[in-house]
Amino acid sequence: MNTNDRDDLREALRELDATPAEIAAWTPLVRRLAEWPEGHITQASQEYLLSVLEQAMPLHSAVRQAIREQKPRRVTALLATARTQVSLFGLGFWLVSALVTLIGAVVVVKYLFSDQALVLRISGPLLACLGTIVAFRGRGTRVLELELVCLPSPLQLAVARLVIVLGYDVGLGLALSLLLWAGGSGQVLTLTLSWLMPLFLVAGLALLLSLWLSMQVAASLAYGSWLAFLAISTVPPLQTLLLTPALLVLPGGIGLAGLSIALLRMHAGMHRLLPQS
Amino acid sequence: MQRLSDEQLLDEVIAGEMAALAILVERYQPVLTGYLDRLVGSDWALAQDLAQETFLRVLRQHATRGDRSFKSWLYTIATNLARDHFKSSATRLSTPLASEHEVWIRDEVPGPEEHVLRGEQRSALVDALNLLGMECRTTLWLRFYCDLSLQEIADTLGIPLGTVKWRLSTGLRRLRSLLASSVDTYC
Repeated sequence: MNTNDRDDLREALRELDATPAEIAAWTPLVRRLAEWPEGHITQASQEYLLSVLEQAMPLHSAVRQAIREQKPRRVTALLATARTQVSLFGLGFWLVSALVTLIGAVVVVKYLFSDQALVLRISGPLLACLGTIVAFRGRGTRVLELELVCLPSPLQLAVARLVIVLGYDVGLGLALSLLLWAGGSGQVLTLTLSWLMPLFLVAGLALLLSLWLSMQVAASLAYGSWLAFLAISTVPPLQTLLLTPALLVLPGGIGLAGLSIALLRMHAGMHRLLPQS
Repeated sequence: MQRLSDEQLLDEVIAGEMAALAILVERYQPVLTGYLDRLVGSDWALAQDLAQETFLRVLRQHATRGDRSFKSWLYTIATNLARDHFKSSATRLSTPLASEHEVWIRDEVPGPEEHVLRGEQRSALVDALNLLGMECRTTLWLRFYCDLSLQEIADTLGIPLGTVKWRLSTGLRRLRSLLASSVDTYC
């Protein structure tokens, strides 16, 4: 306190509920405290202190450091992260996804339904629904803290898992499309779009809804909405309107936008997912 | 970066920003060393060592700050270090002003008679402060040298606001009566 500032000093003493007589008596006393002999902080002593402190400075955390180092080889690092995530999915995921695709292929090849595209529109998003439930179940199993301290960031982990899910599903779907095309079931592009676009839509919606709902509920709701849309679109007047080739890519676009928004929101709000202390 | 608050600067320091640490040192090293110098009884070298240790603890124990303001937390560390110093060395504050400090006294150079008189007055002040006890002395310096508010002192020392006021008014009252009797002695 600048004891030369009489008003400040009086105010400070008044805060102590001092009487005017006490204030008058204490003011010179506090001024005398300011007469304490004092050393100077020299430039050299400040520099010395900083040099000592520099050795105790916290470095960038190991996690951030590792992420920074990975930036120049982002794709390789992403694939490496994805490879380490494969074990999360379990045998059940791979087999059930393959089975769904196989059943779809059999149904189409054997002409069990007249509308082949409808079968693809149902089975394609089902793969996305299963995939997102399995890939993002970690958020509900209290492993988030563990993920926050591991080398790749939570966002990288989320992207890596999407790469696995969508990569596997798209691979299966492409195999199915080629099979159908070889069997003379139609144009390969139209067949592919009929399952790929809904697949993106359901994956995007599921991930977006999972920001507010549990993963299972979000994935079921996304797939259920798509099935409801299909049911509505089978009504003859609407069929020509909703399932035109021009609108075929629209669900895919919406799905990819949903995926992007969900990933960004997930990244920004990751800390809120931690258990409250 | 100069405009950042102490707490924002500390966040930068934790993230590894050396420039932020330099600003914090610039802001607090002089007053912190002066405060410690007063607590340990005019030993500038010891005060500098304790100030250095205080900053080192800021870096190493930043996770323990919690929601407290940086300023209160800093002075808590410094005060505890001064207390530990007295406990460990069983030192008692009875040291008169060291002669090496005389050259730093802010007053204009006095004549020989005035020099002796001022030296005696200062010695009386130090003796009176020593008789107050550590708790009162710490509170007085935090208020009238470090310019901490009453609430900041309460946070720093972990005591209620009423106790801070009581220590300050009691300290000043006792200090005045001790100095009055010492003046009588000199006269």
